[in-house]
Amino acid sequence: MQLKRVVITGVGAVSPLGSDVPSLIKGVEQGKSAVQYMEGWEQYTGLRSLVGAPAELKNEKSIPRQSRRSMGRMSFFAVQATQQALSDSGLEQKNLSSGRVGCIIGSTMGGAESLNDAFETMLPEKDLSQLTAMRFFQCVSHTAAMNVAQYLGLTGYVMATSAACASASQALGAGYDLIRLGKQDVMLCGGAEELHPTVTGAFDVLFATSVSYNNAPQRTPRPFDRERDGLVCGEGSGILILEEYEHALRRKAKIYAEIVGYHTCGSGVHVSQSNRDAMIYCLREAMATAHISPGDVDYVNAHATATVQGDKEEAEAIKDLFGDEVPVSSLKGYIGHTLGASGSLELIVSLAMMEKGVVYPTLNLETVSPDCEGIRHVMHPLAWDIGVMVKNCFAFGGINAALVCKKVNHQ
Amino acid sequence: MTTTTEQEIITLTNQVFEESFEIEKEKLQPQMNIFEDLGLDSLDVVDLVVALQEKFGVKIRDDERVRSIRTLGDIYQFILNLKTGGASAIVSDQKE
Repeated sequence: MQLKRVVITGVGAVSPLGSDVPSLIKGVEQGKSAVQYMEGWEQYTGLRSLVGAPAELKNEKSIPRQSRRSMGRMSFFAVQATQQALSDSGLEQKNLSSGRVGCIIGSTMGGAESLNDAFETMLPEKDLSQLTAMRFFQCVSHTAAMNVAQYLGLTGYVMATSAACASASQALGAGYDLIRLGKQDVMLCGGAEELHPTVTGAFDVLFATSVSYNNAPQRTPRPFDRERDGLVCGEGSGILILEEYEHALRRKAKIYAEIVGYHTCGSGVHVSQSNRDAMIYCLREAMATAHISPGDVDYVNAHATATVQGDKEEAEAIKDLFGDEVPVSSLKGYIGHTLGASGSLELIVSLAMMEKGVVYPTLNLETVSPDCEGIRHVMHPLAWDIGVMVKNCFAFGGINAALVCKKVNHQ
Repeated sequence: MTTTTEQEIITLTNQVFEESFEIEKEKLQPQMNIFEDLGLDSLDVVDLVVALQEKFGVKIRDDERVRSIRTLGDIYQFILNLKTGGASAIVSDQKE
C-alpha cells in the first residue's frame, strides 16, 4: 500500500504571548516571558507555586450563543486557533462537511475551570439540581474537539487525545496517520489547555512545579538551567492544518513543512518519572518512519519543562542520539508549559524557525546544569538552516511522542 | 397576589431570558413561543429550569407541568401558580 504524504498548510494559535501566531512568534523573537504572579492563588492552602502563563480570552461573544453555550475557556481558545489556521490555509468552508475533513484536539483533562465550577456547585450540599445542561459539554475531555467540530460543521473523524503533556503531539500524530492511510484528506489537529489553580496544584502536589520564583516570575521556568526548580503552567491552543500532499498541491496551498515521521510509546517503567530509554526509543522510531538518521536532523525542539528529573533525562536522551552537534532549545521559558497544547504551540514556533532560518534560544537558560551538559544548548538566537526538525514531547503516565518535520522546497 | 408581585415575576423571568439566552428585551412578550419564536431547544430548557429555580427559590426540576410550557406567558403563569397556589392569573386575557 502506497502511503500518502502529509503536509502542514495552516497554523493558528492563542497563546500566553498573544491571541494569534504573529504575536506568539514576535514575543519569542523579542525574548519575552509571559509568566506572571497569579493574583488570588494564595487562597489555596498548600499551593506553593503562584506563577502561571495566562492567555487572554477575548471576542468569544462573536461566536453565536447556540454554539458558544457548550464552550468553556479552552474550547474558545481552540475554536479561535482553528479559525485562524483555516483562514491561513485558505481552505473553503464548503469543504469542511465533505466527510473527508476532521479534527483531533487533545487536552490534559478537559475544561479545568468548568470541572471546578461543577464540583463547587454540586458538592457543598451534594445537590445536582443547580447543574446546567451545558456544564457537561464544557467539562468533558473531548470538549475542544467536539466544539470545534460542531461549530465548523466537520463531518470527518472527530477525536480527542488525552495524554497530558503529549496530547497535542499525539493529536498531530494521529491526524498524520489518518491522512497517510488515505482515511481523511485534511485534519485540524493540536491541543488546548486552560490555566487553573487546580491544574497547577496537581503538579504542585507532585513537587513538579516551580516554587522559588513567586517574587520573580519571569525568571522561571528555567529549562536545563542549574537553578531550575520545576514547571510553570500555561494555557492556550495551537492548531495545525494537516493535509494530504497532492490535495494541497492541487489548490496551490502554502506548505509550511511535511510531517515525515511520528511515534508514540509508553515507558512501562514509572507513572511520573521520565525515562531516557523510552525517549530514545520513541525518537528512533519516529526517525525510522521518516527514513532518516540522527545525522539528518538540524534542530531538536525539546520538551524541557524545567523539572529537575525530566530535563536531565531528556538531555541524556538527546545526547545519546544527537551528541553535541545538533542545536537544541526549549520554548517553555517564554510561554510556560501549556500542557496539552504544548506540542502544537511549540511546533508552530518551530515551523517559524524553519521558515526564518533561525533557532530561538532557551529563555532563562543562563548556566547549563551539569546534569544537562553534552548537548548543543542554544542560549542566544542562532542563524541556522533547518531542513529537518524533531519535536519531542513526554508526559506523566510514562508517555512519549515525537514528530519529525521536513522543509518542502519545491513549490 | 399584588400587581407588583406579578410584575416582579415578569421582570425576573425576562431577566433570565436576557441573561441566560441573550434574547432582546423587545421580543419578550407573553405570547412568544419559547422554541419557535425565542429559539430555545431541549438543552436550553434544562438550563432555563436551573435559572428559574435560582431566580425564584423554587424546586421545579421534577415538576411535570414544565413539560407543557410553550410560551413565555406559560412560564409567568407557572411561576405565579407556584407562588400563589394557583389562585391568581398574571395575563389580563386569561381567566382567573
